[in-house]
Amino acid sequence: MEILQYSLRKLLAGLPLIVGVTLVSFALMVYFGPDQTYLLLGKNPTPEQILEVRQQLGYDQPFLQRYLGFLREIVTLDFGDASTGEPVTTLLAKTIPVSLILILPGFILGHVVGLLLALAAAYWRGRWLDKLIMAVAVTGMSVSFLIVIIGFQIVFSSSDGLDLFPVRGWNASSLGSYLTYVTVPTLATMFVALGYETRFYRSIIVEEMSRDHVRTARAFGLPESRIFFRNILKNCLIPIITRIMFSIPQVAIGGALLIESYFGIPGIGKATYEAIITGDQPVLKAVVSLTAILFVLVVVITDILYRAVDPRVTLK
Amino acid sequence: MHFLATLVAIGLVLAGCGPADGPAVSGPPLKTYRHFMDQAPTTLDPVQGSNIYANFVILNAYDTLYSYKYLARPYELKPNLAADFPTISPDGLEYTIRLKKGVHFINDPCFPGGRGREVVAEDFIYSIKRQFDPKSQPQGAWLWQGRIAGLEEWKAAGSDYDKPVSGLRAIDSHTLEIRLIRPYPQLVATLAQGYAALVPREAVEKYGKGLGVRPVGSGPFKLISYDTAHIVMERNREFRQEPVDLAFEGYAPATQSFSGVEAIQGRSPPFVDRLEFNFINEKSAAWTSFTKGDEIQLTELPPEQVDRVLASKQPVVLRPEYASKYHTLAGLEAGFIFETFNMDFPEFGYNPDPERQRRNKALRCAVIKGFDWEARNNSWYFGLGKYYPGIIVPASPEFDSEMSRISVTRDVEGARRLLSDNGWTPENLPRILYATVGGSSERLRFEQFRAWMRDIGFPREKIVPKTYAAFGDISRAWKRSELPFVTMAWGLDYPDAENTLQLFYGPNKSPGSNNANWKNAEFDRLYDQTAVMLPSPERTAIYRRMNQLVIDDCVAITGLSRTRIYLWHKNVIAYPDREILGGFWLRYVDVMPAKDAGAASRVAEGN
Repeated sequence: MEILQYSLRKLLAGLPLIVGVTLVSFALMVYFGPDQTYLLLGKNPTPEQILEVRQQLGYDQPFLQRYLGFLREIVTLDFGDASTGEPVTTLLAKTIPVSLILILPGFILGHVVGLLLALAAAYWRGRWLDKLIMAVAVTGMSVSFLIVIIGFQIVFSSSDGLDLFPVRGWNASSLGSYLTYVTVPTLATMFVALGYETRFYRSIIVEEMSRDHVRTARAFGLPESRIFFRNILKNCLIPIITRIMFSIPQVAIGGALLIESYFGIPGIGKATYEAIITGDQPVLKAVVSLTAILFVLVVVITDILYRAVDPRVTLK
Repeated sequence: MHFLATLVAIGLVLAGCGPADGPAVSGPPLKTYRHFMDQAPTTLDPVQGSNIYANFVILNAYDTLYSYKYLARPYELKPNLAADFPTISPDGLEYTIRLKKGVHFINDPCFPGGRGREVVAEDFIYSIKRQFDPKSQPQGAWLWQGRIAGLEEWKAAGSDYDKPVSGLRAIDSHTLEIRLIRPYPQLVATLAQGYAALVPREAVEKYGKGLGVRPVGSGPFKLISYDTAHIVMERNREFRQEPVDLAFEGYAPATQSFSGVEAIQGRSPPFVDRLEFNFINEKSAAWTSFTKGDEIQLTELPPEQVDRVLASKQPVVLRPEYASKYHTLAGLEAGFIFETFNMDFPEFGYNPDPERQRRNKALRCAVIKGFDWEARNNSWYFGLGKYYPGIIVPASPEFDSEMSRISVTRDVEGARRLLSDNGWTPENLPRILYATVGGSSERLRFEQFRAWMRDIGFPREKIVPKTYAAFGDISRAWKRSELPFVTMAWGLDYPDAENTLQLFYGPNKSPGSNNANWKNAEFDRLYDQTAVMLPSPERTAIYRRMNQLVIDDCVAITGLSRTRIYLWHKNVIAYPDREILGGFWLRYVDVMPAKDAGAASRVAEGN
């Protein structure tokens, strides 16, 4: 009951955040975003035709009226049609699952393997293994994601390389084909993510290892493995949960533009990018509002998870 | 791990709900052609089929009355859904067109019983009306406004589809009459455009804007799936039987036999079961996919691969290791790139002070003299582009290869002299705002331009870049006449110089296509005169005179047609192209099993 009440309170408190985010985003779209009028006109438009298109797009309406329309769309979850003519909800329903299953393996493995490497690096801090892991991590962080993608395509997929996987395409109709298409994108994502995750997790673990209660536990002669998992890792869970949870909206809605573009995967990242370039406001409005809503949800769930891992946390 | 497996399983269920694009599970292997395009279309509705990417799909999903011959170069029109060329009244104002009988739209739930009905003349009338209905956000009205009688009035009266248009009449179910306000020699060419594709009213009424992702046409292919990465179409098995006559299609054995197109003689297209369009913005990914062997089967040669792939650029010859695997074709685009001054800006163009206006012309001429087309060609287009004076492009039959090349020959000393003789000094030279869409290539092009202008005496700070985030934004600035200097590319809508000459026709000033906002009484008079003339030596002479007027007034730095180098796998029988309309040739593409490709290639090489 306490959790339910807290969740409802937090969700209500999140409404101003959603309004704020959508207001700022909408203002940016209206005043600084691409003007779709001139993409929808023929080669030799007349002033009347320009006016017609602006009316069709609703550009002639006052800002407040347009923004209120946007809020109504959020409430009804009906964002109208994308410039392709496809309903935005259909577009999202098609693309978000693709992005999710594209990114999830890399996301999960990146965090899990990053955490394991960080544990090893922290445990053997200052030793050769720590230095090796950190050197690899820094390499992963230093190389441009673009270069990693192109390099991995050449190494794993091209006829000049191992030629083991397709360069482009997407087919998730069976586990076999899914694994065929997701492997190289996952490896590329992991390669880059590992650097960031390992360094982050190592720093919080090392910090935790130097705390008084760890030293006390050691003084009591507790086994090192027990200290590591019960006294160190458990206390690190708060920043770990924070980092993972706040990455989720990006994973769910943002997709992975570069991965999707280079590997020809029809996910939400590519759709969002196209919408930004062409000023497809119905799609942009949907993405912005869903991201804001998801962030509010993530905040609530994160707080509940804090409570789950640390009973000292109270939900107020 | 259990959690991970569950997530993946849920995702697979969600993502696997749509149609699978993979090969069929059983039955004979599908014959698939995988086409590459560097951009995705924004819609597949013919009413908005404004660009080459949309037309590639539209012209394969829908029928147009006329089309272009597969192999004829220069391009030649031919009847497509029309039974023949139109009968034209002596005054050139009435066109009577017969449609082929027995042609059906694809089966679709929008039709009673889901069975595609026969295509009739009313479908054409309905489709043209859509271009004058603001609710459909049309983009092709410019082709027929002020040309076909009654369309503007129909629009002004509220675009009621149940009301007739005086200039469009179905004499019977398969005979159409078009009545013009004034003669329009390019009319037949406009009827080959994607804009003029025949759309069934039932589909528009059922799907509305959704028609943009769900074409319902009578073309050789029908859509299976559409997303931001690719489009999959399958053969329309009920497409009419029209055996290919290569001689009629303009086959030139001396230059085209290498492609193996002789194999389609006498057969009825389409020849592949599946047609896939892969949209790849990234050149490196496209190249890796192409060279892999079992993915995209055609690509354009990316600049960074030129030295690796070509043994010779003029003529274009592949290195042996590539020649053994790929066909190649170097084709000049049917369009051009050019830059114009915006004459609305008094610092370059029209000025109330006649003396300043005279000096402005000298200034423009000096900038043109300072522009280095050869360097631009070498830097950006492998040195294979063709630059020439004026605005009549080589793909137009009226192109004059004998024109003086002074306006495209760099003359730094001449430019400096012109500036000083007319009182221009580094201090009083106006600022040139060079606007582009953001991107490293665009920035480099600007820097190159700035270096040339510095050579003729412009101070560095007077050549200023301005970057726009998206094409829509720079397009808005052009249409609002906000930029003093316009850098543009234009692709021909039809092979007639009128299509580029109209870019400088006074009444087409911004927001029309005359971004230069140039007004020249003689040019406009000649344009009006030729607008009603059929192709003839007399019309060609007038076109060329108009071309010379643009050059003489130093209104534009022009122009260059780029060469595209296509590569395609040897098991693909095709003669690729992306000019004029794009995509009209895809119905003729065939794919051989890989083991046959080598033999066919050897035969072709032996010819």
